Amino acid sequence: MDRTLPAFGRRSRSLPAAAVVALVLPVAGSGQSFLGARGLGVPVGALDARAAALGNLGIGLGGVEVSAGDPATWAHLVWPTVSISMQPAWGEFDLDDQVGDARATRFPLLGIAYPVHRARGVVTLSLAGYLEQRFVAEHESKVVLNDVEVDVEDRLAVDGGTSVIRLGWAQRLGSRFALGVAAGTYVGRLEEVFDRELDSLAIGGEVYSFLEENRWRYSGTTVTVGFGADPVALLHVAGAVELSRDLTEAPQGETVGERLYSIPPRYSAGATGRLSPRLHLNASVVFQDWSAAEGFGEEVLSRRKLNFGTGLEWLLFDGETRSLPLRFGYRQLAAPFRYEKEDPVESIWSLGLGFNFVKAENQRFGWMDVALERGIRTSEPLAERFWRATVSVGVSRF
Amino acid sequence: MIEHFNRFSGRPIATGLLPAALCGCQELLPVVESEDLIRSGLAIELVLPFDEFATDARVYGGYGRASDLIGGVLAHEFGGQSEGGDPREPGLEAATLMRYGRYPRVVQVLDTAGVLRPDSSLTFLSGRILVRFDTIASVHEGPVEVVAHALTEPWDGLSTTWEYAVDTVGHRVSWSRPGGGVVEEIASAVWDPETGDSVGIHVDSARIAEWADTMDLGRGVRLSTTTPGVRLRVIGSLLRLETRPSINPDTLLHLPSGSEVTTFIYAPSPSQPRKTLRVGGAPAWRTVLTLDVPSVLEGPEELCEAVGCPVEITEDHVSFAALRLFTRVGARAFAPSDTLSIDVRSVMAPQVLPKSPLGPSRVGLGGKIVPHGLFEPPGAELLEIALTSLVRDLLRGETSAGDPITNTIAILSTFEPLSVEYLTFEGASSPNAPGLRIILNFSRDD
Repeated sequence: MDRTLPAFGRRSRSLPAAAVVALVLPVAGSGQSFLGARGLGVPVGALDARAAALGNLGIGLGGVEVSAGDPATWAHLVWPTVSISMQPAWGEFDLDDQVGDARATRFPLLGIAYPVHRARGVVTLSLAGYLEQRFVAEHESKVVLNDVEVDVEDRLAVDGGTSVIRLGWAQRLGSRFALGVAAGTYVGRLEEVFDRELDSLAIGGEVYSFLEENRWRYSGTTVTVGFGADPVALLHVAGAVELSRDLTEAPQGETVGERLYSIPPRYSAGATGRLSPRLHLNASVVFQDWSAAEGFGEEVLSRRKLNFGTGLEWLLFDGETRSLPLRFGYRQLAAPFRYEKEDPVESIWSLGLGFNFVKAENQRFGWMDVALERGIRTSEPLAERFWRATVSVGVSRF
Repeated sequence: MIEHFNRFSGRPIATGLLPAALCGCQELLPVVESEDLIRSGLAIELVLPFDEFATDARVYGGYGRASDLIGGVLAHEFGGQSEGGDPREPGLEAATLMRYGRYPRVVQVLDTAGVLRPDSSLTFLSGRILVRFDTIASVHEGPVEVVAHALTEPWDGLSTTWEYAVDTVGHRVSWSRPGGGVVEEIASAVWDPETGDSVGIHVDSARIAEWADTMDLGRGVRLSTTTPGVRLRVIGSLLRLETRPSINPDTLLHLPSGSEVTTFIYAPSPSQPRKTLRVGGAPAWRTVLTLDVPSVLEGPEELCEAVGCPVEITEDHVSFAALRLFTRVGARAFAPSDTLSIDVRSVMAPQVLPKSPLGPSRVGLGGKIVPHGLFEPPGAELLEIALTSLVRDLLRGETSAGDPITNTIAILSTFEPLSVEYLTFEGASSPNAPGLRIILNFSRDD
């Protein structure tokens, strides 16, 4: 079974589009979690390693950035730029009396920028993970058939996720202000494989397992508008609003049942202050009220609305063309979907290092950032802990 | 700035990405035992009555010949009225016919000097027919008298029957007397099952000399029994020749002569069943069913409540399916006395029945083992033959390999013939008509 093409086949009208879409699949997700079981999944957090290390939510970082959630921050790029992030993660969970492990590697963010100098703007393209659903649930039970008690083993494997492709424009307005807008489309897929096996010894013959595969494809549109400003030399601020139309979960093949999910507006803001020539403090906040979203079951949605994060960046070495920043951060996230009845909370402490191989003033032209995060997300009776590494590389004037 | 770009190299980036890629690329999904996270399933068992899954049941006979069965059968008044059988059915009479092959011409013999030399000048003094019985499949209540007769009329080892010495297409020659024609008694012996599984019957020198003529089409031995109420299964025989070699006349050799033909004849022949199903026998019987497995179900209530009716079922829903047959006590003369095995195969060209080719086994290597005890009075025992792959193929409309499939199946013995006994099952008009047991699985979104 082709697990890739159906999810994106509708968008294969042109070769470039198909090529872009083909890149999206590995972008999806970095958070395997059971929180996603009752909703659309767990948020991926499409951050590069710098933002991850700084506890940032993807907006308001000083310096020129490639960010999916901050459409204006690209505006000051002067060269064509590509940035890609890779994110291996190792997790463990406690659920009632059970413990288990999880491991995955994802590519949560890919950004491409192409400046148009005559217009003082930048064309932006980003592929960002959004939500991910990946887990396996098993259950053993008994049924009575022909007056005989038969052991039954059920297994549900869920594999899928949603990503966002955004195409945008970032416009410089003077040297201290920029606006950005990005229009995007949700893409993704979900596969559920339900496998039920009956005990052949009790039945008295070869028993075929019952295998049911359901596939859906996600689609929807979104638009993000944001600004970035440096009102004073020591401060950078940014804000963005993201509006989405309903996310459509369309059945594929023999699967039946189309579902629509509303995605609430997402408001984000962030700021970076320069405490000293080598020390920067950033803070960011995201507000998104999922509790009133439509299309979900009862008691699935979290009432928590606020995500915030903060971090410090300390330049261990700051040369004329190179620098070596050390980063610390903390952020607290509100995942939109509960495990049972408790609103989930995700807390992440982070540490990172940047290697700015080529830079001029506050703009990087070749870099590699590394972040290491330790996080815990809880939604009683579920507790998940994870280590997550993020490696981002960026190249300008390629 | 440009010169810095020229100095920039991608090596550090590659160096950083590679270990990161290697350390976590093997994905491990979290697995949890949880009833809450998993959708619930529904397993339901249905037993479809005959007219809900089949439209026709027929019995065809005449597959194979008695001579195809390796060995033979001896019977006398077996299963007749005196045996408690059906008063309308006479007891089974069966005899085994054998024709021994060419005698040995050259033998390596130690001469008087102790040297091993070939000897082609042999004198056959007498012989001994050794007969070996299947002690498990044979039915008896003690010692059995076995009689050997010499056949005198030409006969065909492949086609002979109780009535005919030769019964080939377009050519029939009757025995002058049913059951082997005019015969000449050779000798008799008593086989005591408690002393072994074989019996020997002496053959005099004149008869041995007579049988040396391999051009004689009437040459042969008729083994029978005079003990009433027995049915013996012969699994082998040979003629052991008492031989005097010319190079060492003081020595007697026992040389074997195997049978080149072994078959059996019996009477009466089973009649065509009208209301029952039959499998086995020699020549063999087959039961042919035309299946019409429903792809839409309107019940039962439990199913409808769970997933709503009508329910369309596909091959994926079928976890198990089995044909349910109820045994019936048939004519005792042909009642099974040992475990038999039966097979189910697709009839590839139902329109040319009874000569249609058959598809591969649907039961598997060795077939379905059927204990003979199921056919003892009072019968009505349930026999299930798993046909899951067949039912799934029928619902799919083709085999899993994409080959066409017919909805006509034949139930037959794994080899034809497998035994003179046959299995009798209740027919479509019986209250214990065949049924189809299906275990279906569905998933439910809770």
